[in-house]
Amino acid sequence: MFRFTYERPTTIADACAILAASSGKAKVIAGGTDLIIGLRDEDKKVAHVEKVVDITHIAALKYIKTDGEVIRVGALVTHDEIFNSPILKSSVPFFTEATNTVGSPQIRHRGTIGGSICNASPAADPVPPLIALDAEVTLISAKGKRIMKLADIYDRPYKPTIGTDELLTEVSFKVPAGAKTAFVKLGRRKALAIARMNVAVLAVKKAGIVEDIRIVPGSVLPKTMRVEAAEALLIGKQATQETIAQAARKVAEVMLEMSGVRWSTPYKEPVIEALTRRALAQALEVE
Amino acid sequence: MPLMGKKKFNVINQAKKRVDAADKVTGRAKYAGDVVFQDMLIAGCLHGHRAHAKVAKIDTSKAKALDGVHAVLTAADILKPQSWADYYYITDHVKYIGDVVAIVAAETKEILEDALKAIEVEYEDMPGVFTVDEALQADAPQIREKGVGLVDGIPTKGTKGNIFFESYYALRKGNIAEGFAQCDVVIEKEYRTQFVEHAYIEPEAVIAISDPFDGLMTVHASSQNPYFTRRYVADALGITMNKARIVQRTLGGSFGGKEELVGLIAGRAAILAKATGRPVRLVVSREESMIESPKRHPFKFNYKIGATKAGQILALEGILVDNSGAYNNQTQFLNCRAMIHSAGPYNIPNIKTDTYGVFTNNVHSGAFRGYSSPQVIFAGEQLIEELAEALNMDIVELKRKNILRYGDLTATSQRLSQETIFADMMEDVIAKTDYQAKFAANAVQTGEIRKGVGLVTCYRGAGLGAETADAGGSLVTALEDGSFIINSGITENGQGLKTAYTQIAAEAMGIKFEDINLMGIDTHSVADSGMTVASRGTVMAAQSMKKAGASMKKLLLETARMLLSATSLEEVDMIDSVAFVIGQPERSISVAAINNCRLWTGKQLSVYEWNEPKELLMNHHTGQGNAFPTYAYGVCVAEVEVDTATGYVDVKKVTSAHDLGTVINPDTVKGQIYGGIAMGMGFATTEEIEVSQGKVGNHNFDSYIFPTSMDMPEMDAILYECEDPEGTYGAKSVGEPATEAVGAAIALAIANATGKRIKRLPADLERVLLGKSLRAGGDA
Amino acid sequence: MEKIGLKMIVNGTPVSVEVSPFARLLDVLREDLHLTGTKEGCGVGECGACTVIVDGETVNTCLTLAASMEGKCITTIEGVAANEELHPIQQAFIDYAALQCGFCTPGLVLSAKALLDKTPHPSKEEIKVAISGNLCRCTGYQQVVEAIEAVANR
Repeated sequence: MFRFTYERPTTIADACAILAASSGKAKVIAGGTDLIIGLRDEDKKVAHVEKVVDITHIAALKYIKTDGEVIRVGALVTHDEIFNSPILKSSVPFFTEATNTVGSPQIRHRGTIGGSICNASPAADPVPPLIALDAEVTLISAKGKRIMKLADIYDRPYKPTIGTDELLTEVSFKVPAGAKTAFVKLGRRKALAIARMNVAVLAVKKAGIVEDIRIVPGSVLPKTMRVEAAEALLIGKQATQETIAQAARKVAEVMLEMSGVRWSTPYKEPVIEALTRRALAQALEVE
Repeated sequence: MPLMGKKKFNVINQAKKRVDAADKVTGRAKYAGDVVFQDMLIAGCLHGHRAHAKVAKIDTSKAKALDGVHAVLTAADILKPQSWADYYYITDHVKYIGDVVAIVAAETKEILEDALKAIEVEYEDMPGVFTVDEALQADAPQIREKGVGLVDGIPTKGTKGNIFFESYYALRKGNIAEGFAQCDVVIEKEYRTQFVEHAYIEPEAVIAISDPFDGLMTVHASSQNPYFTRRYVADALGITMNKARIVQRTLGGSFGGKEELVGLIAGRAAILAKATGRPVRLVVSREESMIESPKRHPFKFNYKIGATKAGQILALEGILVDNSGAYNNQTQFLNCRAMIHSAGPYNIPNIKTDTYGVFTNNVHSGAFRGYSSPQVIFAGEQLIEELAEALNMDIVELKRKNILRYGDLTATSQRLSQETIFADMMEDVIAKTDYQAKFAANAVQTGEIRKGVGLVTCYRGAGLGAETADAGGSLVTALEDGSFIINSGITENGQGLKTAYTQIAAEAMGIKFEDINLMGIDTHSVADSGMTVASRGTVMAAQSMKKAGASMKKLLLETARMLLSATSLEEVDMIDSVAFVIGQPERSISVAAINNCRLWTGKQLSVYEWNEPKELLMNHHTGQGNAFPTYAYGVCVAEVEVDTATGYVDVKKVTSAHDLGTVINPDTVKGQIYGGIAMGMGFATTEEIEVSQGKVGNHNFDSYIFPTSMDMPEMDAILYECEDPEGTYGAKSVGEPATEAVGAAIALAIANATGKRIKRLPADLERVLLGKSLRAGGDA
Repeated sequence: MEKIGLKMIVNGTPVSVEVSPFARLLDVLREDLHLTGTKEGCGVGECGACTVIVDGETVNTCLTLAASMEGKCITTIEGVAANEELHPIQQAFIDYAALQCGFCTPGLVLSAKALLDKTPHPSKEEIKVAISGNLCRCTGYQQVVEAIEAVANR
């Protein structure tokens, strides 16, 4: 286990002040369900950490609220709280379902949405639905506040473009009217399963025609993102088994283009296609 | 069918509550890692993390210089680096990733971590051998001096190679050439299995304390076999065994696994306790346990089988090679069982099999619930079904024609002379599960999600049989208040042995279950009764407890007769701790009065009985003879749904039927069966220690995947009883039968669902979808 | 490194301890408070043997920094039975033979307790989900589910 000092601020300002004063050697901890494993295993990714800043006592980071058309979720909201939120369950069921597939009840009680975003694992279950929602994150530092598209902070796995002095305080999104969603996950078992692959789909259909579609596969691309080339095959078209199959095939092709052929490709290629097809069929209500 | 429920007993054959349950549900039970002594030091091991390398240089000076470090020892610093059982306490020649090059004792966990990091080691890497195939290549590096090679396919002393000579067993029955000559259909198939981790939830732990009060080195250990652990401690310190005492603490699961590594860490902790003069605790991490603890042996099976058009199986030939890893003290016993069962539960007149292990630079293989049977049954049952396909015959028909029945000769030419309910069990389970209709319907389905059903029939020699002496002793002591203490050398590993032994002693004595207390194991209290392995605890080793109970009852009734003034024409008996004159229950006396009388009149208060096993004669060159006193039969049906788009296997239902002879405790028997199904499911679908060039790819439970509560199927445990006098009160084995058929049944069900045969386990996502693994590791 | 003062309520009793900044709640419970019913099976939040209840929710103490528990209310297995009187869940585990080696049992009992405290009459599926973070290698979970169902159906 790496050793470190510990601070427990109770306000966002205090947390930012500590981070600012730590010259990149502090790491924010919330539920700790990822970070503690890294520290215990002496993972190189956290070898620089000399101080952990525990934000779990900052009450101002724990909320789920609607703000006009925007839904705002505080960074400290746990996976379990998301799953049990009536607002989220009715408006973005694929997001609540995704959080409910994370780890185990114990992990979901501690693990937070902010932590999941910042850990930036390519296999994180709650992230693809958020990217499908074109979610934004709020980052606050002693220097000020900035708002970023969630998709834009993921350039590389496990290394989001969040400054070492920044605190992620919120994720927010708008839900398009009439949106239907789906989240499909494949793991090696039914609980305590890291996603082998997952797919989030958000769709808006009018009179059988696809008006809006967002397809976000997890664990297959170098970064978690919408596959616009696949989406383009559906926009303005009838949602049928054929068009869905074409879009699903496109996701597999984009994976091949972006990730190249790896040891796992012979498996991932047909399977991401199948999972995408299922998610599209569910969201677009195609039998 | 003889379902459980017809037998009449007073205490056994009932769901008595586990005697250890209250301590376990309240957290009071103390496992080895929970034991604390004043001034204890914390110890740890530095592993080589290399497949094969010499230690060129090891510098411990920086570690020793740290404040709070009390001992840093390398192979050069200890009396005897290699243990009596092949494995090393500490080595300077790393032969697999789990080998240990230094041990440390320090004041705290943090100082220990610092000290382990401060040890500087330079290695010279050496070429390694990893798979069964590589080990058998003529030009393979010889990794153990004692390895031998093949001459005409037979392991032969005096030749060079990687075969573990003592693990070679031949089976020769009938005339194999003539047998095949009469066959209309002959097929040849290859199957393989993987390294599997026991994954008991409690990692290994010991605490060693040298107390001048008794002059002993006492080690409290998470040991499955404390008498086995004692050998390591005496061996490591060079002391006589009467100076080494092992106390088995509440054990957090073992399944065969807490033997070698627990012995080694007990030895290491004792060495450090001696070196420092302080109590020393050594608890291994999960990661350390995964690389240094034994695994289930991976097997490579090459089978040839032939039958007449009518479905009479006439000949079977096989080569069974198992990967023993870098060191071994198990394969030489395990392969005896593998050989005996190498032709399955079928009446085959001509058999020739050769079974042997090979050394490789891998994690070592050891005992693991089944002791080869899950692997052998997986291969054998696939083979029989492939034969049925080649014959174009219904698998049930083929089984009906060949399954072992009363009076038949087994593969070792042992005549089945006890009641044999095997074929009836098979018919009953087929009817209960509607197996045949489902099997046929599944063959013609379409769609992405396909259903499959698999049927396994198997049998298992009860106890140790011809592997080694199946003896045991038990001690029963009467106390003046009417309570009793019982001791045995057999251990509670979680399976419910304390409860079963208390029931057996109570039944034998006529004493209330609640009036008996079974002591845990302290090797200084009773003699070595052999290991708690081979599903022998209740079936064979408990014979001595029944005997001791009967002897004690005889003594108690002598006193009762006197106190009740019974005449020579009157009979006395004891039930529920009350002695009475038969036919005159009002003339009765409590066992407390009897024991009290015996104490004050100077009568014997304790009984020790030993049970010698029945003689079993086997010819080592032919594998022919009586292999086991009796056999336990099993029938298993697995039902699955396979997602043919992803390769995901969803196990929906498992029906697990067992011939238990006499059920001692139905609740604990069911617990064995349900747990065995979970373990068999993991073996079939997800579990594999991923080895690649000797490295292990999965070190913890995030990547070593076994079933959670949500993965479990509907389970139907069917308990049959029969009349077979060989086991204690007619009981037969269940611990290993509970798991051995399940993996094979799931593999068969997958084949039924997909039309594609599973040739190598586990049937994980990639293998089911693509027919091969994509992981870097490859075959073991 | 400098120790941190920590106040929390453990099994109904206020506790004040000095802990290392990197100490896990598991270490503090076992080593400082001698509550060894909380077990370490994997250290990475998979097995659930180290489960305790914090403010009504189960957590893995191996993934929880002790220092973050300031002001929290913690129930360990030692706090489940009241004055030698077994909790109905504990009694049901005994009655349904829902344990074997017992190493995972404290965690399972606490997961069951947290579930039933919130949802007194859960479905079988809810029970399976509630204990899905507690790996058991002995029982196949069947009798565990039966035991919890028995309490839930009362």
